[in-house]
Amino acid sequence: MNDITSILWEVTQDMFWSSIAALGFSMLFNVPTRTLIGCVACGAIGHGSRTLAVELGATIVSGSLIGAVIIGLMGYLFAKRWHAPATVFTISGSIPLVPGRIAYSAMLSLIQLSTADPKTGETLLVRASINGIQTMMILGVIAIGISAPTLFFERTRPIV
Amino acid sequence: MAASTQKPPLNREELRDIIDLSLWAGQILLQHGAETQRVENTVHRLGTNLGCEWMDILVSPNAIVATTISGEEFRTKIRRVVGLQVDMTKISAINRLSRRIENGELDRFGVRSELQRISQIRSHYKRWQVVLMVGLACAAFSRLFGGDAVVFGMTFVASAIATFVRQELSRRHFNMFLVVIATAFVAGLIASLPSAFEWGDDPQIALASSVLLLVPGVALINSADDIIKGHLVTGITRGISGGLISMGIALGLALAMEIMGVSGL
Repeated sequence: MNDITSILWEVTQDMFWSSIAALGFSMLFNVPTRTLIGCVACGAIGHGSRTLAVELGATIVSGSLIGAVIIGLMGYLFAKRWHAPATVFTISGSIPLVPGRIAYSAMLSLIQLSTADPKTGETLLVRASINGIQTMMILGVIAIGISAPTLFFERTRPIV
Repeated sequence: MAASTQKPPLNREELRDIIDLSLWAGQILLQHGAETQRVENTVHRLGTNLGCEWMDILVSPNAIVATTISGEEFRTKIRRVVGLQVDMTKISAINRLSRRIENGELDRFGVRSELQRISQIRSHYKRWQVVLMVGLACAAFSRLFGGDAVVFGMTFVASAIATFVRQELSRRHFNMFLVVIATAFVAGLIASLPSAFEWGDDPQIALASSVLLLVPGVALINSADDIIKGHLVTGITRGISGGLISMGIALGLALAMEIMGVSGL
């Protein structure tokens, strides 16, 4: 019981901070003012569900897929509700999921390789590869997740 | 589909107008962060709903080529697209414009004045609001990474100042990579203070969070989106440019960390 409460508390805090992150980036991307609340909701619920999935034992990649699918569905519904393209909600909402910190440590390890001595260089190389591969996989599942509704519900013949 | 619709053939004058308008809309989309699929679909819809029978479009990372066809006439035009400034309001406005044309509410002249209006839309948010909120957003990220109050505060200061620096440099049309490196350098100088003076529990988090405002999230997500939808050329190009910008961030940070004598990992 105590365990569940602590997880829920964790997720609540997580949703609070990721909503602020989504709000800041939505303003940077100049989203229409009337859609701001939808973008923030996408960011908070998307990142919160990833944290919940990770707490329950998912890896960061599959957790990101779950979060991104939820953002995609929310964007699909919000697009009809607010008469704006789904991209507005899904892009701003998935910014908190973008693995900035993992990419940061991949890039920093690569740069530090330039001055590393061969013995310790191996650790840096391994760290750069792990983080680099994780970054690419997370970005891939975010893209699949946020376009999942269109990939499933709108399978028309390409018009172009 | 194209042959079965009975549209009256257009003269060269009308075709010229249509291709000009639909490429203009495509340029606005591509420049402000739309994915390739959306650009192709919108340009095609605009052209066919304005009266031409068919449109062929080629979207490359920094240009759009399109051909309008009507009866036995056809015209082709290239439009260069440079610079990326994410602006969801413009994408949303073009989306609505495309709907209105589909419903037959606008003719060519109406579309032209509407595009004129859309391309002049300014930001809804004031500059200081963006500076404050982006600073807060990066500080919120530091919290998500497990930073304490000191790290939160320093990340806020570093990111807010970095956002201001980026706005000022971008306004003066500096090279994109230079802007990124300089901004990351400024953010790194301020954010390495906690590490240098050993403030807070885990001061390295401030370094990692303060540069998140520069992470090319839209370019990277669009890159993956283009690739899974089969637009390999634009997808790979966007991925590489996103990777290079990330490299620029790391470069600026590494410079700042070397000057301040701290390590970031």
